[in-house]
Amino acid sequence: MVENGKKILIVEDEPEIANVLKMRLEANNYQILLAEDGVEGLNKARTEKPDLIVLDIRLPKLDGFKVSRMLKFDEKYAKIPIIMLTARVQQADVEQGMDAGANAYMTKPYKAEDLLAKIKELIGS
Amino acid sequence: MLLKDEQVLLIHDFKTKFLWGIRLRFGIILASIIVYFLGISGQVGLLPMVKLLLFVIAYNCCAFLLSFLKKQYKLWEIITIISICQLFDLLAVTLLIYFTGWLESPYWFLYLVLIIVSGFGIFSRYSKIVFIIALFSAFFYLGLMLAAYFAVIPVYGPQFSLPPTELLHSIINRAVFTVISFFLFAGTIYYFSQALTENQQSLVKKNLQLLATLEELKEIDRLKDEFVATASHELRTPLAVIRENTSMLHDGIAGAVSEQQTKLLDSATNNIDRLAAILDNLLNIAKIQSRSLELKRSETNIGQMAEKAISLLQGLAIEKKIVIKKEIMPKATIWIDQDQILRVFINLIDNAIKYTNLGGLVEVKVALEEKGIVCQVKDNGIGIKAEDLPRVFERFVRFNRAVEMSKRGSGLGLSICKGIIEMHGGKISVESREGGGTTFTFTLPKVETNG
Repeated sequence: MVENGKKILIVEDEPEIANVLKMRLEANNYQILLAEDGVEGLNKARTEKPDLIVLDIRLPKLDGFKVSRMLKFDEKYAKIPIIMLTARVQQADVEQGMDAGANAYMTKPYKAEDLLAKIKELIGS
Repeated sequence: MLLKDEQVLLIHDFKTKFLWGIRLRFGIILASIIVYFLGISGQVGLLPMVKLLLFVIAYNCCAFLLSFLKKQYKLWEIITIISICQLFDLLAVTLLIYFTGWLESPYWFLYLVLIIVSGFGIFSRYSKIVFIIALFSAFFYLGLMLAAYFAVIPVYGPQFSLPPTELLHSIINRAVFTVISFFLFAGTIYYFSQALTENQQSLVKKNLQLLATLEELKEIDRLKDEFVATASHELRTPLAVIRENTSMLHDGIAGAVSEQQTKLLDSATNNIDRLAAILDNLLNIAKIQSRSLELKRSETNIGQMAEKAISLLQGLAIEKKIVIKKEIMPKATIWIDQDQILRVFINLIDNAIKYTNLGGLVEVKVALEEKGIVCQVKDNGIGIKAEDLPRVFERFVRFNRAVEMSKRGSGLGLSICKGIIEMHGGKISVESREGGGTTFTFTLPKVETNG
């Protein structure tokens, strides 16, 4: 498998979802990093500087909105695009997500082609 | 006598009510001066009237000054002040009657005024006050009559040239009549004030009950929202896993798949999408029901929404060789929630296509009228039975013929449409005949927007 040099950080506490995401994205030649909670996600984002972050909202220790805000309001990491991928679909959540600086808000279950298209749109393939 | 709470209220209300009482008295003084100078009160000596007026003005001024003396008065102080004022009022009225011809004076009705005022004044909470004032009025009045009869005091006004016994009879008649009227009056005021208090109390009770129920309902609503959010999450996560697993198998990421396997996986993926759609619909129903679905209104060309829906469903129509005819007014703009109304169009047009046979016709009309937008989705499909029509907008209702026609459908679409239209303040209705097609009509009223 030829990697295309793009790193994606997946911050998701449900291992099954994290795995299917990893499988799908690796099949599309992205390099994957995983984080299981908000704090780990934030740390990995800062140390590894991924090209894109796929972020769940319901996370232990630190929720997705906070992680997104902390990254977006720090100019060192603000440029990293964030896709919020979550089961929370209320209008209020979408708005909160956008307020927190998310570049895109997708709901589960997602269509793989939609997610891949969005990623491609944000960082190329 | 008075409950603790009532005592507190009385002390609190004292100043305001007291000042009103003083204003009322000054008003009456003014009125009587005018009446006097208009000559209506008949033959009255000027000097006694002046003395009386001065007396009344004097004690009212005292009362006025007194009200500014202390910030808050104790209960016994209030009772003393009010009682003295009340006695002075009674005295003033009695003097007035005395100066204007005692037996023949028309001013005895002022006792009734005092009775009424006591019923609404500071002591109104102690409703029997009216009887006390009636009693005192009777004392003062009778006192005056007797004093005049027995010539204890000089008599003003016309001299009565009647023999003593006849005069006595006159007095007794008058007195009895007058005193009875005092008590009748007091009784009436008492009765009505009691009724009023009872009413107020039962109203207050009912209000409290309603407030308590409202709090309960709010809590239930909050719990329901929490439940919906949690359930939504719990259902979506496994759905996401299944979908991706299936999808990846289908896409060959886990190894090569045969054509047959691809078909099966395709079907599985489609059904997961259906589940997700139903889940979305359920969430929407729950939100619309609890009115937490907020409309995001914007100036929308509603014709464009109709066109969008039609283009989305064009594929389905073509499959069944159904023609979609459009009669859409081009510049029909209205202040609505774009996405929700698009959803309504999609639902209605999807239904029209689903329940129409091959080669049928679906008409979509959008018109802008005086009162707002009127839209219609008409088909010449299988129609709805007359007995089923009333239930068409109910949740989870799908009629047998609909199920035979198409397996797709959760029975939620029309109830969602109804909810959305009604949230916009509009109305939706249906006309149909079995085998003769169905027409859905909905209206959206114009909204007054600021600026």
